[in-house]
Amino acid sequence: MNVIGNLWSSLFPDLSGDLKNRESERAIDASIRFPLLSLIKSSIVWLILSIVFGLIASIKLHTPSFFAEYSLFTYGKVEPIFWNTLVYGWLFNAGFACAIFLLSRLGGATAGMGLFLTISIVVWNTAVMAGVVGIMAGEQLPYEWLEFPAFVGPVLFTAFVGIGFWCLLTFRNRVHRSSFASQWWIIAALFSFAWIYTAAQVALVCMPAQGAMQTLINSWYAENVFGLFVAPLTFATLLYLLPKTLGAPIVGHKYNTFIAFWTWILFSSFAGASELVFGPVPVWVSSVGVIAMFGLLLPATALSVQFLSSLIRRFSAIWDAATPRFLLGGSIAFVFLMYFKVFGALRDSASVTQFSLYDSGVNCLALFGFAGMVFSGATYFMLPRLLNKELPSPTLVDLHFWSQLMGVILVSIGLISGGEQMGALMNGSTADAIAVVAAMRSSYFMTTIGLVFLLMGAVFSATTYFWLMVSNRTDAEQSADLIKEAPELEYTAS
Amino acid sequence: MNRGPFLFLGLFLILASSWTFLLKQSNEEFGKLTALVDEEQGGLLPRGVKGPAAHGKELYQELGCIACHTQQVRVAAGSDIERGWGERQSVARDYIDQGRVLIGNMRIGPDLTNVGQRRSDEDWHLLHFYNPQITSEGSNMPSYPFLFETREIVGEPSANALSLPEEYAVEAGYEVVPLREAESLAAYMTSLKVDYDLDEAPKSNEVMAEELAVALENAQ
Repeated sequence: MNVIGNLWSSLFPDLSGDLKNRESERAIDASIRFPLLSLIKSSIVWLILSIVFGLIASIKLHTPSFFAEYSLFTYGKVEPIFWNTLVYGWLFNAGFACAIFLLSRLGGATAGMGLFLTISIVVWNTAVMAGVVGIMAGEQLPYEWLEFPAFVGPVLFTAFVGIGFWCLLTFRNRVHRSSFASQWWIIAALFSFAWIYTAAQVALVCMPAQGAMQTLINSWYAENVFGLFVAPLTFATLLYLLPKTLGAPIVGHKYNTFIAFWTWILFSSFAGASELVFGPVPVWVSSVGVIAMFGLLLPATALSVQFLSSLIRRFSAIWDAATPRFLLGGSIAFVFLMYFKVFGALRDSASVTQFSLYDSGVNCLALFGFAGMVFSGATYFMLPRLLNKELPSPTLVDLHFWSQLMGVILVSIGLISGGEQMGALMNGSTADAIAVVAAMRSSYFMTTIGLVFLLMGAVFSATTYFWLMVSNRTDAEQSADLIKEAPELEYTAS
Repeated sequence: MNRGPFLFLGLFLILASSWTFLLKQSNEEFGKLTALVDEEQGGLLPRGVKGPAAHGKELYQELGCIACHTQQVRVAAGSDIERGWGERQSVARDYIDQGRVLIGNMRIGPDLTNVGQRRSDEDWHLLHFYNPQITSEGSNMPSYPFLFETREIVGEPSANALSLPEEYAVEAGYEVVPLREAESLAAYMTSLKVDYDLDEAPKSNEVMAEELAVALENAQ
């Protein structure tokens, strides 16, 4: 690699070649159609499976006799299966789809090695499946978001390296030498996940560190999966899709993005330790985490101002198409999420909410609300372009949007406000454990109802995807100018 | 802007510092602790998990009990001490010999650090696994019927059959016998107790005050 040349061109970027037309976009889309469709299909199957497991877990909380006679479905098994399929099944597949689409589109070159990419995707999903079976068979590890049996780790990692390698090559072969903020976020996500997953696998699974160190590594890893992988991919998608769907550049992209990017990565990578406050580790460890968590306020504010003001400036455009509505939902969820995450990590709040359902609620808000909304919106953007077809039924998309929104709200209230109530009883009083269960019943029910809404949303979107894939093309859909892009916005300078 | 090398360098530095300052430094500080020998408190501390309890620990991991139960006591927050879940803060040394630690971060049920002290009777635990409503009515802990066998009594009833209260009794001529899994798990539960002090482990203010009062009385 010509480092000096690259450094030079980083100071004086060459912006020629920014103009494109729909023809070249179609060629790019065609080159990634097959792997992208497999990612989207796997993601939706995992989402539905995951919510079904989540429902079983949630029902068990208020009706413990549900499925109690089957050793395959203990609460302790379905709960980790829910989280792991949600993260590695749904969000990783959807996130990979967004990353591949964005890198190819922004790079401006048709992609090669489709077969290699597809094989990696198949290996990834097979490994997730093996992990789920492993947990049910009783091989689970006691680490949050790393419950998959030990043999799954290396396979998942190999598949990840395959997909990541493909992405890096696509980034490297880009026609436009300059790079857009979305590309940094994606590269950062891929690089960070390879790092944190290796560290966690080595220090937790293969050669477990001693005693309390394991919880530290685990919290560090779990927080980073969100902070350094899921969230960056979501930011990348938002930064790309907002200008594309609203028809205007992102507000403040010249000043904000750079600072937000580096501070987010820096603070995120330390924030996980905050979970260990009051725990069996020296105080400085959790203090570093709390400080880092608080530092996240800076990039979180910058990014949410950017997203929301871009959306509000073009508010009328939000209701014209499917995608921007989901982006709005995701951006609003992000504001609430960061509020609960940052202020929930402070010592005073943690002394109330620690070990309650609060953290699960924050995670649900992050995964279903923030990342989930944005990735769903992105899928409604990608699918018509990949297949050159129009969305079959706006009603289905509406139904999906409102059910998912309703689900996110109910699950978040059930778990976050329920978690606060549970924490106040558990940490702030000596109320009997049975009394806590009784007080929590309504919250448990609310979570179950929220998950039913989320399941309905997932089924509506699956119907749309399926319909879109199998329907015949109409005359209008045979033509190349069905989808009108704004080519000058393909590339929004950063 | 073509920031490829700059991007990688920056990411590498940030992740490396997070790894070094947070994980490596911690590992130096509390990841290489050794057991203590204290004859007054009964030998090696912590005491370790042995025998059927070790098998029980594997089952605890397999069934995912960690999803609802923690094994850590805090003195600086919460009401763990008031609830009688422990007498002092859990510290890193308590976990050094546990292999895969089961510290947990969710308390849908109570903490189990000292459950062996609170409930030292294995039969109580067996009844509790068979149907938690027998021992703690209103609990949302599921029952684990697959850890038990309901079988016809042939000749004498088995010595280890559960003595079920009337409203939960199985039909006449049958008995409920715990499988080896249930017995190991119960052994693990009764083995869970932190009945020793460590110098580095802070106690709650109340416990410290009591100890001070006793020490003063003895001194007089």
